[in-house]
Amino acid sequence: MFTTSRLVAIALCAALNFSIGNIVYLVKLPVYLDSVGTILCALLLFPDLVAAIVCAFAAGLIGVILTGLVLNPFLPWFTLTVLAIALVSALLTARANGTFRARPLPTGAFVAKVVTFGIVTGIVSAVTAAPVVAYLFGGVTGSGSALVVAYFVKSGNLLWDATLRSGLIIEPLDKTLQVLLAALLYHATPQEFITMLRPSVQPSAT
Amino acid sequence: MTPNGAIVFGLLVITGATIARDLPGLAVVLAVAVVFALGSGKRVVAALGWSAAIVLPLAAFMTLVWVGIVGRAPAEIASGIEGSRANAAAYVAVIALRLFVIAFVIQAIFLRFRGSTPFQFVRQVSAPAVAKKLIVLTLSLIETILHAVDRARIALIAAGLITRRPSWSNLRNGWLLVQTVWLTVVTIAIGRARDKWPIENTLSLIDGALTDAAPRRLTVIDGAWSLLALAGAGIAWSMR
Amino acid sequence: MARELLTGPNFSGRSTGLTARLRAATPASAFFVGPYAEAALSGLSSTVADEIEIYRARPQPVRPAFSAIDFTAYAARKPPTLSGGEQVLLALHCFSLSHCRAIGIDTALEQLDPANRDDALAYLSQADTRGFDVTLIDNRLEQQDGWTQTAMTGSADVACDPVAATAGLAPCAAPVIAIERLSFGYPKGRTIFQAVDLALEPGRAHRLAGANGAGKTTLFKLLAGVLAPSDGAIRLDGAPYAPWRGGNRVFALATQNPDHQWCGATLEEDVARRRAALARHGIVAPTPDAIARLATLLGAPSLDAHLYELPLAARKRLSWLWPFSGTLPWIMLDEPTVGQDRATRDALASAVTRLCALGYGVVFITHDEEFARLVDHRPLRLEHGSITA
Repeated sequence: MFTTSRLVAIALCAALNFSIGNIVYLVKLPVYLDSVGTILCALLLFPDLVAAIVCAFAAGLIGVILTGLVLNPFLPWFTLTVLAIALVSALLTARANGTFRARPLPTGAFVAKVVTFGIVTGIVSAVTAAPVVAYLFGGVTGSGSALVVAYFVKSGNLLWDATLRSGLIIEPLDKTLQVLLAALLYHATPQEFITMLRPSVQPSAT
Repeated sequence: MTPNGAIVFGLLVITGATIARDLPGLAVVLAVAVVFALGSGKRVVAALGWSAAIVLPLAAFMTLVWVGIVGRAPAEIASGIEGSRANAAAYVAVIALRLFVIAFVIQAIFLRFRGSTPFQFVRQVSAPAVAKKLIVLTLSLIETILHAVDRARIALIAAGLITRRPSWSNLRNGWLLVQTVWLTVVTIAIGRARDKWPIENTLSLIDGALTDAAPRRLTVIDGAWSLLALAGAGIAWSMR
Repeated sequence: MARELLTGPNFSGRSTGLTARLRAATPASAFFVGPYAEAALSGLSSTVADEIEIYRARPQPVRPAFSAIDFTAYAARKPPTLSGGEQVLLALHCFSLSHCRAIGIDTALEQLDPANRDDALAYLSQADTRGFDVTLIDNRLEQQDGWTQTAMTGSADVACDPVAATAGLAPCAAPVIAIERLSFGYPKGRTIFQAVDLALEPGRAHRLAGANGAGKTTLFKLLAGVLAPSDGAIRLDGAPYAPWRGGNRVFALATQNPDHQWCGATLEEDVARRRAALARHGIVAPTPDAIARLATLLGAPSLDAHLYELPLAARKRLSWLWPFSGTLPWIMLDEPTVGQDRATRDALASAVTRLCALGYGVVFITHDEEFARLVDHRPLRLEHGSITA
């Protein structure tokens, strides 16, 4: 399972997960993109499903552990969410690898698949994260979620419901952005690297 | 104390913080963590400060939601009673203190081993060899990425595609910085995996550096700290 | 024990020949130092101490150590934060501590300043007595006493003509750059510039020299608007110029590692984005066709070639594209000749000379003394926070 090239892919994607927060901070963007590496790892290892799931999860797990030690100590609590994102990415998102890799990029198909898989990833992420957010954070993880949760709770929803509803609004947007970034990075990745990871798959003729 | 012992201690403290339901229980767990951190000397102040910086913004948002807007605690909502802002504040305090304990114990462990190099730390951790290699490889690539970020940022600012300050250009083109960094680091990784590593058999070479000559899973001191953490968790549980 | 120098132009098969020799050695007894800084080190350590630990022979070293720098003082430093030259010296230090009995160095010595380069060559020249084989590629060495010279004769027919690339440029009235009492220091770090006064004249090349870590790249960053000075000002023909606020409108930059400057995965994407960014600043760039012709002259196979899939030497040449396009009046070149053969280096020197004759201003950083001799330049020395001519 853990060939040299797959170790490199896992480590690269874990490092990307960790580092990308620094990048968005430097360019002052109001987002935090912490699963781009996980999704990208699944794309890189597809069509070997087992390898894609295992390596994507490993990348996500190492990323949250290291981020938890240095930047955000609460991130390791979302390990189940990391696993869920790895599964969705390997089983669903990675099936669009042909579209993401095509040159020229088919814009319509590309956008449709990014949005579709981003929403699915967001829903799965929201569902798996809701219990952690509700119990550990009182439903609130930041400024955006604070107001949304407040609205739902004030409307009579229980904490878990409000957290889930808040997540279902915010997570699809966030994860669509992350799927978009992962797809763009996958599109740009040199063929030599992809061939290194999947020696049995020939490069496409596009 | 060994890294294995510190990891066990940390997990026990975090478990205690998770199962504690009220402020006195959390205070007991926090006290265990503080005693541990005091063993690091003056770094306990750094750990406290860092943890407070992480938790205070979250506490502020929670206060806004539960005390300012909702005006009652979740349990009161679930029971259908009118509730009070005081109870909401107590709820926020419990959540915030729990988060603080978790952040604090992780930071205290991190600072305790700050003098060790990553190899020294990973060498002593009881983990499969492939996991150790992955961790050191990831740490190395993080440094490579952060350096590449700095260099790529210089060039993209010089080219006028992104700016030093927040701007619409950054919103439009910030992803280019990510792409440039990714491609740079992938190219470096390809070069190493194609040439340097096979020629030198480097991945086998680090087995020697990552293997502890005298492996110790847990020491007596590790056991003592773990018992203390277990006691704290037990007290927190009994206070529920 | 063999000392072998592989010679030949770029793309003649030197790198392939070098790695083939190392692969033929006993497994795990060879050491490879690749053609750019990041390829010198293992990629498995996040501190200098750990890097040394990977290679250190146990129970004891088999030969005297090569220690151009005292690396114990660098123990906690992160390898990527070292300069390119320091990374190469660290790699050589690790090799000297290892069990390895063969080392191959692919143009990496070109990143060393003259003193360290001489030390490294002296150490490698003692391979016979120190018990190892060495295979070296170095564009700045013609021959070395006691070394076997092997001429590589393969040809990938990748033409590069920097002189022709500048042939169609019109004269340029580049502005005078006046740096007035410029001060800068990194937060919690040392002062890099202390009230520096400097005039950069158009129509001239200026060579910026200084020790590693002196602040040469920092000056490039200030001029390109990446950093803001703590005090002082920059003027263009007397008018205030603050690129850290208004963006860079003057300097075309070619970075030391070409991979750090691309604005796209393909040359086509890079060109399109740069043209759009320049247009937003009201700067007219050459047409896409003109850029394409220029890229061809610099060796680009096609505009839709994936930049990162090109050989490193080819990417380095393409990093000169925008500096030679005539779009911006001043040009900054950071170690432009690393990895380039003599013919290309000489052509680059002619191209830089031509740019100056047309009125462009050039500032370059280089350890390549031969290149510096070929370009009529004004030497500038950065030392202890000041720049002296």
